This record gives sequence, C-alpha cells and structure tokens, in this order.
Amino acid sequence: MIGLAPPEHDPEAARTTTILPVGSPATVRSYVAGLIRRHQKAFVLLVTVNAVAVVASMVGPYLLGGLVEDLAADARDLHLERTIGLFALALVIQTVFVRLVRLRGAMLGERMLADLREDFLVRSVGLPPGVLERAGTGDLLSRITTDIDRLANAMREAVPQLSIGVVWIGLLVGALGVTAPPLALSVLVPLPLLLVGCRWYFKRAPSAYRSEAAGYAAVSAALTETVDAGRTVEAHRLGDRRIRLSERRVREWTQWERYTLYLRSVLFPVINATHTLNLGAVLMLGGVFVLQGWMTIGQLTTGALLSQMMIEPIGMILRWYDELQVAQVSIARLVGVREIEPEAADERITPDGRHVHADEVRFGYRDGVDVLHDVSLRVRPGSRVALVGPSGAGKSTLGRLLAGIYAPRKGEITLGGAELSRMPAERVRAHVALVNQEHHVFVGSLRDNLLLARTGADDAELWAALGAVDADGWARGLSEGLDTEVGSGGHSLTPAQAQQIALARLVLADPHTLVLDEATSLLDPRAARHLERSLGKVLDGRTVVAIAHRLHTAHDADVIAVVEDGRITELGSHDALVSADGPYAALWRSWHA
Amino acid sequence: MQIRDLPHPDPGVPDVRSGGRFLVWLCRRQLGGQFKAMAWGLVHTGAVASFPVPVGIAVQAVADRSGAGLALAGGLMVVLGVLVSVGDTMLHRAAVTNWITSVARIQQLLARKTAELGSALTRRVAAGEVVAVSTGDLEKIGWFVEAISRFSAAALTTVGVCVALVIYQPTLGTVVAIGVPVLALAVLPLLPRATQRADEQREKAGRATELASDTVAGLRVLRGIGGEELFLGRYRTASQDVRKAAVRSARMWALISAVQIALPGLLLIVVVWYGARLALDGRIEVGALVTMYSAVTFLLHPLRHFEEIAQAYSFSRPSAKRAARILALSRPADGRITDHAPLRGDLYDPVTGLLAPAGRLTAVVCGDPDAAGRLAERLGGHPASEPDERDERGEWGEPREGAAGGPGEAKSAGDAGDMADAGRPDDRTDASGAIASGAIASGAAASRTGDRANAGDAIASRTGGVDGADGDAGEGSEKSRGEAAADAAVPSRGALPSVELGGIPLDDVPRDAARQAVLVQDKDPVLLSGTLHELFDVPSSGAVTAEQALAAAQCDDVLAALAQSGTDDSGDPMHSRITERGRSLSGGQRQRLALARSLVTDPEVLVLDEPTSAVDSHTEARIADGLHALRDGRTTVVLTSSPLVLDRADQVVFLPEGKVTAVGPHRDLLRTSPAYHSVVTRETDEERARKQAGDAPAPREDPQADPGEGPRADPREGTQGTSHGAPADIPRGTDSATPPHARMGALDSIEETA
Repeated sequence: MIGLAPPEHDPEAARTTTILPVGSPATVRSYVAGLIRRHQKAFVLLVTVNAVAVVASMVGPYLLGGLVEDLAADARDLHLERTIGLFALALVIQTVFVRLVRLRGAMLGERMLADLREDFLVRSVGLPPGVLERAGTGDLLSRITTDIDRLANAMREAVPQLSIGVVWIGLLVGALGVTAPPLALSVLVPLPLLLVGCRWYFKRAPSAYRSEAAGYAAVSAALTETVDAGRTVEAHRLGDRRIRLSERRVREWTQWERYTLYLRSVLFPVINATHTLNLGAVLMLGGVFVLQGWMTIGQLTTGALLSQMMIEPIGMILRWYDELQVAQVSIARLVGVREIEPEAADERITPDGRHVHADEVRFGYRDGVDVLHDVSLRVRPGSRVALVGPSGAGKSTLGRLLAGIYAPRKGEITLGGAELSRMPAERVRAHVALVNQEHHVFVGSLRDNLLLARTGADDAELWAALGAVDADGWARGLSEGLDTEVGSGGHSLTPAQAQQIALARLVLADPHTLVLDEATSLLDPRAARHLERSLGKVLDGRTVVAIAHRLHTAHDADVIAVVEDGRITELGSHDALVSADGPYAALWRSWHA
Repeated sequence: MQIRDLPHPDPGVPDVRSGGRFLVWLCRRQLGGQFKAMAWGLVHTGAVASFPVPVGIAVQAVADRSGAGLALAGGLMVVLGVLVSVGDTMLHRAAVTNWITSVARIQQLLARKTAELGSALTRRVAAGEVVAVSTGDLEKIGWFVEAISRFSAAALTTVGVCVALVIYQPTLGTVVAIGVPVLALAVLPLLPRATQRADEQREKAGRATELASDTVAGLRVLRGIGGEELFLGRYRTASQDVRKAAVRSARMWALISAVQIALPGLLLIVVVWYGARLALDGRIEVGALVTMYSAVTFLLHPLRHFEEIAQAYSFSRPSAKRAARILALSRPADGRITDHAPLRGDLYDPVTGLLAPAGRLTAVVCGDPDAAGRLAERLGGHPASEPDERDERGEWGEPREGAAGGPGEAKSAGDAGDMADAGRPDDRTDASGAIASGAIASGAAASRTGDRANAGDAIASRTGGVDGADGDAGEGSEKSRGEAAADAAVPSRGALPSVELGGIPLDDVPRDAARQAVLVQDKDPVLLSGTLHELFDVPSSGAVTAEQALAAAQCDDVLAALAQSGTDDSGDPMHSRITERGRSLSGGQRQRLALARSLVTDPEVLVLDEPTSAVDSHTEARIADGLHALRDGRTTVVLTSSPLVLDRADQVVFLPEGKVTAVGPHRDLLRTSPAYHSVVTRETDEERARKQAGDAPAPREDPQADPGEGPRADPREGTQGTSHGAPADIPRGTDSATPPHARMGALDSIEETA
C-alpha cells in the first residue's frame, strides 16, 4: 500500500471557528462517566445477559470437543442423546439471551441518547441571553441536528456493542484457559501485531474522521445555502457558480474519504492477519502439544473453535471503537455548551421602582474596541425615549444594554436602583423586554405560542391578549382556534400576524419596560400602521425605549436621543431638537420635505 | 470510477419515476464498481468459507498423529489467511468507493437541481426536506448501493459452500444445503413489520429534531419572554416518544437476531447428531465432522448479509423516494421566443399598468407589502409562483403534496407529469379566450369578473394607453408591440400576462435571458457565505466596480467592521469572510451589501423591493442619491414607501390595490393625492381627519394617550373607498365598476399633468 498524506484542505479547521465552546476531554470524560453511572443498572444487566449468551454459545464447541475426543479414542458409546440434549438446551438459552442482549442494548442506548439530547436542550435554553445575542443560534442548531444525529448511531450501537464485545472476548479467553490452558498462551502470539497496527491507526483516525465529517457537512451546507438563497441565486444567475462550489466541496470531502480509506486499508490486513495468526497458532501449537501428548485432541478442537469465535468480538470492538471516536467529537460539541458560565446572577437583587438609568456606560464587543463611550441616560417611568442615529452608531447596542442583555464594561445600568446585569435573566425579563424584528412563530399550537409568555394563562386570558393586539379577528377564523398548528409546517401566518403574536406575548408577559428595536421596520407602511395600532395598545402605560430608523417613531417620543459614534450627541424633545437646528432637525426636514 | 476522480464530470440524468427505479439507476451507473466489489467479496468470503478445511485437516492430522498433515494444514492456512486479508481489504475499498461515488453523484444531482429550480424549489418542497435528503437520506441510499455487491458475494459463496458440502459429504451436505435456504428465508416474514416500526421511529425522530431545532431557532424569544419549561416539556415528550418507538423497533430486530441464532443452531445440532453417528459408524472421519461443524458456523456470516440487505433496502427505499421526488421537480427555463431583439426599452406591466421608462429611476408605492413582493417578482419575468396559476396549471410536473416526505407521498412523479399534461390544453383555451375577448372588445371583457378577465382588459387598454403615453414612439415600436400582443394571445404560462421589456414579453424569452436583462432584488436578499470578494463575484456587465457600488450603497461602516473582524491579516475588507446569511452583520448592513452586489451586476433593468427598509433615515437619503447617480441612464424600479427615496426618484407610481392610480414626482403627488400622502408620510389618521375638518393639526399629543383610541378610520378602509369619513381618492376613487380602459384614460390625463 502506497502511503497517503492527509489532504491539505481541512474542512474541520474552517468549521472549528465555532462561536460556542467545545468540551475539553476532561469534561467529556466526566460527562460520560456520569451518564454511565446514571444507567449503571442497565449496564450491569446488559453485561450479565450478554455473559449468559456468550457462555451458552460456547457449549457447542465444548461438546463437539468431547465428541471428537471420544471418536478419536474409538469409544463405542458417545452418550449422543445426552450431548444433543445439552446442545439443544444451550441453544435455547443462547437464543433467548441473544434476543435479550439486543433488546437491552437498544434500550440502554436509546435511554442514554434521550438523556443526551434532552440534557443538551436543557442546557441550551438556560444560556444567558447575551451569549445567544452574540453567538446567534446557528451553531447551536447545527449541534442539535448534526451532532445528535451522529451520536444516535454511537449510542444506539457502539456503546452496547462495545460492552458486549469486551465481555465476549474476556469470556472466550477465559474459556480457552479453562478448557485448554496451554492454548490460552497462543492468543498472545498475534497480540503485538494487533497492538502496533491499532496504535498506528487510532493515532491518525479520529482527526481524519472529524475532517471527513466536516467535509461532508460542508457539502450539505453548500447545498442548503443554495436552497435557502434560491431567489438570490436565481436573480443573480449564480446557478453555475453554486454547482461548481458544490463540486469543489465534493472533491474536498472525497479526498478525506480517500485518506481514511487508506487508513483502513492498513488496518484491515492487520486485523485479518491477527485472526489467521490466532487460529494458526492455536492449531499448530495445539497440534504439536497434542502430538507431544501435553493435551488431548478434544481440547484442541474446542480451542480451535473458540479461537475461531474470537473473530466476531474483535471485529465488533474495532468497528465500534471507530464510531466511538467520531461520537466523542460530537459529545464534546454538545457538552461544550455546559462550559458556558451561567451569568453570575444574584438572586437577592430586586429593583425598587421603574427608573432605568445608564450611568457613564462603556461597552465593546471586543477588547479594546468600545462601541459605546460614556453614555448616560435617564428614562422616567412611563416615558417614551427614541434612539435615533446612523447605522452602526451603537443604538441597538445601547438598547440591548438597557434591556439587560449585555453587561456594561464600565459604568452601570440600573433598574429601580438595582444593577440589571447582576439580576438573573428570568427576573430581568419580568421587568424589561426587548422586542426586535425576530418574531419567531414556534412549531406547535397557537396556544403554545402564547402560553410561553405566561405559562399558567387560561384561554380567556389568551383571547384577551389576542384581542388587545387586534389579532382575535383572524385568530377566531382559524379552523381549530387556539389549537391550530402554526409555525413551519403548520398553518402559515403572514409576517404581520407573526408580529401580532409577538405583541400578544408581550401583553401576557406584561413587563413594565420595553425596548423596541425597529420592531415594525421590515413591514410596509400599511401593515406597519395597522401593527402600530396594536403596538400602541401594548405600549400603553409602559416605559418605552424605541430604537428608530424611521423618524415618525421618533416624532412621537417624549425624549429623543441622537446617537452618533457611540455617544449621545443630542437629547431632548422633538420640538426642542427641531428648534435647536442640529443634525436631527436637518434629517427631519429632509423626511418631511 | 476512482474516488480521486470525483466529482463526476457529468452525474447523468437520473431515472426518478420512483424510488426503486432511482436505486436501480444508481446501481447501473456503477456496474463496474459493483462487479469489482462482488469479485473481491467472493475472494474474501470464499477464503473465509474455506477455513474449515485446514481446521478439519489439522484435527484429523492430530487424530492420525501425522506431522505432515499438520504442516499441510498450516500451509493452507497461510494461503487462506493472505487471501482473506487481500479480499477483505479490497472488498472494503471497492464497496466504500461505490458508496462514495453514488453519494457524490446524488449530491451533484441535487446541486444541479437546486440551481435549476432556483426560487421555485422552496415553493414546491420544504427547504428542510432538501437538507434532510442531503444530510441523512443520501447515506442510506449509498448504504444500499454499497451493500448490494457484498450481499451478492455472500449469497454466491453460500451457494458455493452448500454445493461443496454436497460433493464433499453428500448426506450431511444435503441436509445443510436444504437447511440454509430455509434459514435465509425464515426472517423475511418478520422484515415488513420491522421496517414499518423503523419507519415510525424515523418519523418520530424527525418530529423531535424539528421541535428541537425550532426551539433553538426561537431561543432568543424564549429567553427574552419565558416559556423555556413549556418547550422543554414538549421536547421531552417528543424525545421519549422517539425512545419508545426505537425500543419497539429494536424488539423486532432483536427477535430477528434470535431467529438467526436459533435456526442455524438447530441445523448445527442436526449436523452434529447425524455426523457423530456417521463418524461412529466409521463412514466419515473425525476431521470431516469438525469441517462440517465449522462450515455451518461460517454460514452464519453470509446470513447476516441477508439481514443487512433487507435492512438497507428498507431504510434506503423511503430515502430514495424522497430524493427522487426532489430530483423529479422541474422548471422550464426556455421560452418560446429565442430569437429576439436585445432586451431593452421601457418596462411595462399590463396587469397593473406600471410603466417604467427606459433609463429612468421609477419609484413604486404599493399598498400592501405582499402585493409589492409579487409585483417585483413578476417584473423580472418567469415568476416562480402565480397563486392563480399554480392550482390550475401543472407547470411543475408534479402536484403539490401535503406533508413533506411523510408517508403520504404516494403519488409518483410519473402520474403527476400526466396530470400536468392533462391540465394544459384546458388551460390554454381558457386563457386565450380571455385574451381574445379582451383584445376584441374590452367592453365585453369588462363585464367579466375574475383575474383572467382583468388580465385581458389590461392588455386591451394598454394598447391604447401606452400609445397615448408616448405618442412620439416610432412605427417600429408600435409594430413590435403589436406582435407582442399577438404573442400574448397564446401565453406560454400562467393566466397573468407577462411583463414586457421593450415590447417583448419576458415570460416568453428564455429565463436566463430575462434574468440577465432584469435583476429583481427581493425583500430579503441572501448574502452567500464567503469573502466579500466572492460576494461580488457575480455575473455582471463589468461597468460598475465593487468600489463604486459599495460607495453608492454607503457601505463604509460595513467595510470598517469587516476589516476589523477579518480573519486574515491583510486588513483588506474584501478578504474578510461573511458568515452564513451574513448573520454577523446587522440587518441594515446586510441590506446595503446586498444592494451593492445588485449594483455591481449593473443589469439593464434593476428592480429593488424595499432595498433600504432596515437602514436609518440618514444613510437612506445618501443611498438614494448614490443609487440615482450610479444608475444614471439605466432603468431602475424601486418599490418603497420611504419619502427620502421617493423624493429622489425621477417619477413615482402610486399603485394601491394593484392598479396604477397616480404617476408623477413625489412632491406633486403629495399635493394632489391624499391617499398617497397618507401612505407615504404615515400621518396619523387623526391628523388627516383634522385636516379634513379644517382643524390645524394639534402640535403634540400626549405621549401617554393611547393612539388606538379616539376617532380614527382604518386606513385600509379609506383606500378601499368604503369608509364613511374617507376622503375621495383622485381618479381611482371614481368607481370600481368603471370599465378599466376608462380608468386608464383618466390615468393618461394624470400623466400628462404630471
């Protein structure tokens, strides 16, 4: 076999610029240990059933050895009936227990898999809002789909099969030692070869498989993007380019496939040679031993048959060990989410009043690059503040700080005198909500989509909330009312309806302060105006900080803060700012020309 | 086909009439590889199957106390060992190569198909389904394609061993030869149930994954509002459902394994019992008995392949069906008119009456965002969907099906094609009937109701209206318009007449030509991942550089942000990477980059749907200036409602309710059309009401006052002309029963005044 170097392009390297952390080996180990502890009983049961099945499977070779011995000794009476009876009994036991092994293995694997995926989601929904805001959900999404999928095989098969394989080998060697002690030594003959071969292989394999998997994922990712961007691809006539990109990804991926195939092309002969050596050693050494009179021909037969049986568990271990290596990576990615520190929240901090106050706040996403510089702002309860200014000036960032999603680097943001960033997210959101353009409609019933905001609400409350945002009209028209399935795959809602659901959630959640980040900017004027009426009802009586791209939003505010380059450069009411004739006034004139 | 030769230069034309045919097609495309794998499989299993021979010889040699016999056994074993090694490795290589080449082939086919379908794909199947095929289904299809050769080798070897046993030891061999087929077939009755349960498990797993990814996708909402426990509970239930279904499925497979232990075991017992008696009678030797025993144990291995192939088939069949379903979708890309004049001139939409003069910047104000989106799409020709059209015309070669990839997808692509064909003649007569009546007597057509009648009207009235509009148009243009109208009498698609560019119906020219001439940037353009340089690497006229486009779209701050976050050290923003869908950028930044990309393309006609909706007013004003300057002399249509953009357009077309009602400069329309004024300035209804009543608008309102209360009319009611207090909109307010050509006539007069 001609050696093959790993391909130059490593898709895994491109992928490892993940935003969320990946678990360290120690975390993975401790997690897996915990998982096994949780399912200890099932494990013990599996191993026991398996041991019974294996022992039963060895009865055949043992009995045959006896027969051969008797035949070779020209015995006249073989007790054939008794032997066959035992054989049949062993077969019944083996059949029953093999079935149990497979079933118990699957049950254990499925249980662990369910634990793993549920654990992951539990962890995910506990992530600090700031982390989500910064990292987005794409990385999480790929973990819960790709990695869980990849683990399914490992958990379903690899873990049970590996434990079965190990027990199996142990019992076979043990049986060999009992029935034909000298032969147990011959097992050692192929061992060095196997060890050297496996060492070579497993040193290279895990990272190669990771790259291969990443390469394959990249193939799908290119396709997914083409699908997702269908309109753009068609409009810009990018079809041919996308095809070429897909083909490049296929090439990159298959190069890694070729490399791992080469790795296996080395491993496989080693394993086969091991089997041959094993059987050969048993037969040749055993033959010599028998000829020398050190053991009987029956022992040799049993030994040969037992060592032939080893092929299966060895193959099993090697095959699933491979899978486990791949799984390890996926586990690391899933468990990595656990390494994100929950925010250092102090349960005791409770706000006293509704004043929102930013005091000399500095904040940046990266070290040394501040987006906000010494921003101070007081928001009176019940007032409306509009943040206006050019893109990238820091309006949205300031809004997120005021909503308690990020903690300021310097200075502090307080709600009723209590520092927002030190409050647990669950408490913050009881007071402040950020409303942005993201109006996710969850897969599920309309009821579920509303209940999330107030878990205990009854139908009357839900209808009242829908009514408050003018959504009860179309909602009552739905075929199954609140039970209508909405979201992807269900009844499809218009963007305006989705937005009304988001607003109804706010009515239910009932926070006293709202930060609106261009909540209606993506809609056209008429729908937006309709929504603004719904929004108006929601805003009534609440403190509102509105990030406004559109000046009419600003026009209605009590206080307008013009944000430029991370600083508040103008502050005052609409009339005051217009008469001050600064940048805001200029913009207003061009708007109202 | 070697792996290193991938990707396939040409993945071929798949047989997608059904999942099964698709699998057959895949296998046939790599017959060579299949035979290679089978040949090596024969070497491998054959050698493994022969191992009992040296074992028997060795035992016999020992029984006979023959050192030579033992040595012979050893020598045989070495030879067989080498054969097993080589056979195993080469079989694996050949089989994996088959797997990879078939998976690569389908990936390439999918890439071609998605590129061909473009925007139409996701309207036919859920995007998730394509992804599911690409990530999960392909592997299963590949598994079957790969397993089939291993299975054939195993099956052949099984036959071979049986034959050898019959020759070697006729009585015992016959017992085995009869027993083995029984063993192979015994599990078959169990398989349908097992696969059915596996299907249920997959379905549940799909549901759980969907719930999980949906929850994660909306995680920011959950974290911001609450309800995590609700969704976790929901997911737990789904996850436990998967577990139970999986265990149920495992029960079946466990039973199958038990049967596969029990039956060969019984055979083994018969062999031992019968063989021992033969040996006792001295009719066979001890070694032969051992050989028989090992041979029967060996036969267990090929039997596994019977199970595997059944499993692979049951898993790959639904996968192949899904893949075939997607690959069977098609979308015509050619048009009836291939030999046409260069596509340039005025852009005209007969449905709405919108006319965008060549070389000018036309802004369009629609009432409703969805209508604007549909209009934008139609302006480019070859619309991917026409709601009226889709139900009636099977343009897609396949009828719409409900649940994506669910078990309900019963209809084969072949049937669907037939249905589409059957639908065609009907449709044609109907559509041309409408057109004809419109062309001959618009008065008669006006009495008809429905979209088709309207479409006919629009064409009829256009021939008058447009000619009036640019009366100085030469005879040539008249002639081409006349031809176009004649062509339109036999529309190639859809009930709505095509948008025309320079008099040529865009729907009737090849799609690529239409796309080249008119670029429609939709509301949500996607930034494809890659470097900024790659982003701007789009087919273009070459006249506009990336720098010019970026400057016009006011992308300075985006460039600065990208340069800072750039992954390579060059500091050149053009080398910095844009993540998937541009998620690392803000909505406004994404919008401006997308606009810059469209500007680089520099098409004859550029249609922009709300290109600056997420951009702040300050920047928006500068973008509008930049756009106007850069597109000078080229036709540009902007669908927007922003006064800052409208003010900088050469002309504004007001198009509420899907028909042009007013045309003119922004400032004129503000004065003459209250409806336009209200849509564009977003003045509150109260203000408007006060103005009507002659009151001066109140300077400021109490910010605490609920704007939802108080006397106000629904703005939509106003534009529909049904509201009591609504002002009379200019011409369009006249009466909806007025024949359309009369309306158009009124419109002409507006245009003249404008």
